[in-house]
Amino acid sequence: MFRRSDVPLEKDASARFLPWLIGFMVFLAALAVAATSAVTNLADRWDTGLTGRMTVQVPPPAPGTEDTTNMASRVQTVLDVLRSRQGVVRAEPVSEARMNELLRPWLGGDAAEADLPLPKLISVTVDTTSGVTAARLQDAIGPAVPNAVVEDHQKTLGRFLDVVWTVRMLALLVLGLVAGAAVITVIFVTRTGLAVHRQVIELLHLIGAHDSYVAAQFQRHAMRLGLLGGVIGLGLAVVTLFVLSQVVTMPDSAVVPEVRLALWQWGTLLLLPVITAGIATVTARVTVLRTLARME
Amino acid sequence: MVRFDKVSLRYGAAAPVLDDLSFHLEPGSFHFILGASGAGKSSLLQLMYLWQRPSEGRISLFGRDTRELNRHDKALMRRRIGVVFQDFRLLDHLTTLENVALPLRVAGRNRPSLDEHTAELLSWVGLGDHLHNYPPTLSGGQQQRVAIARAVIARPSLLLADEPTGNVDDRLALRLLYLFEELNKMGTTVVIATHNEALAERFRQPMIRLTGGDAPLPGDRRRTAKARQ
Repeated sequence: MFRRSDVPLEKDASARFLPWLIGFMVFLAALAVAATSAVTNLADRWDTGLTGRMTVQVPPPAPGTEDTTNMASRVQTVLDVLRSRQGVVRAEPVSEARMNELLRPWLGGDAAEADLPLPKLISVTVDTTSGVTAARLQDAIGPAVPNAVVEDHQKTLGRFLDVVWTVRMLALLVLGLVAGAAVITVIFVTRTGLAVHRQVIELLHLIGAHDSYVAAQFQRHAMRLGLLGGVIGLGLAVVTLFVLSQVVTMPDSAVVPEVRLALWQWGTLLLLPVITAGIATVTARVTVLRTLARME
Repeated sequence: MVRFDKVSLRYGAAAPVLDDLSFHLEPGSFHFILGASGAGKSSLLQLMYLWQRPSEGRISLFGRDTRELNRHDKALMRRRIGVVFQDFRLLDHLTTLENVALPLRVAGRNRPSLDEHTAELLSWVGLGDHLHNYPPTLSGGQQQRVAIARAVIARPSLLLADEPTGNVDDRLALRLLYLFEELNKMGTTVVIATHNEALAERFRQPMIRLTGGDAPLPGDRRRTAKARQ
């Protein structure tokens, strides 16, 4: 029989625009969280897959040089050197089939037939505790096959981890800005509500309402709007992420890393509306209590 | 119950609206405050329901010096005071029933008892058929009765009414004053501010007269109110 609110906040303009404003902010926050999660997952996968792994490139001899040794013997020489080194656990040439598979996104299906001067690759696994480094292997291989190159994936990974760190920091910055903007918006809306409904609030005080009773009216309103805005923003973000994941997994886009979120990361995204509602509730309460305390 | 000790009230640098007022209202008493428009009747009531602070002097309510009250104490004290405002101050977005039940809600009373009690009171003031109407759809007299019902719903110890008969005909005015008298007999201290001296005199209750206002007494050029009990 009774309305929930004694202060008619639901008729204010804020009730119409605030959910959309918060929705937009939650949308940005959700994308930031999703981007960070995806990049972190990718980094973890690469880290797990590449630790203790190196690749040796054995290019064909430079045209016009006197080195007439065929590719197979060049590869075998490198393999012999590698396998004789302490700390090298495994050294195997990458198969033709695997090479074609790796080149297909870049050169298409005809890469195998094309007469291209492609290098041969040797996958090397080392014992990371043995002290074997890419530089030492390079020194060992260099005299035998001069233009063979040892690639240390940890270096590439290190640069990628720097990027991940930057993305994380940017996401934190976005989250901070979004939270700050949400707080400022709710403060503004709450103060406007206090001014618009001043007479109603006066009456509530005159019949014995504590400040917390008045604050409860505003915080319930802010919580509802915050939750609604959060759901709107999250809904838009989920649709965007779904479309993005479809684009990324298309056959022609193998160059783009796959964006996948774990279940708990989806759970984190689902928490965003709740967190937003919480921020809105607390902000409204504190704003009302502080404003009312200053009124006397 | 209510004690004023050399109380003055002025707004800004203007001449005081109330000047050097001293009186004491016993618990269970019934008083009229009389005076012309602008004499300070509403200001005096505002001091009693803690909406104004005296510029000078001391006010005691229910045995406590009002200067010592914090916001929390004031809220609790106001729950013991029922006020009928001159402009009613009904909330247009709430029904009659919800408006009247507001003091109970604020005090944290639960809903079932609140509904029954409120509907009963509204029937008593002749508004039993208007429980779910909104204030803008009610006449001035009906709104006034809603305001009165809201003021008395929580059985206050002190009832303050500012021109409670201003918008009703004489017959209804008398009926409302009898209602206040009934409440007074049940132990509520009643203070009614009115400019209708003839109506007040029919009740043979003590009066506080405020001089000054728009119709200054001869020789009194200041808009100053003084109490004569």
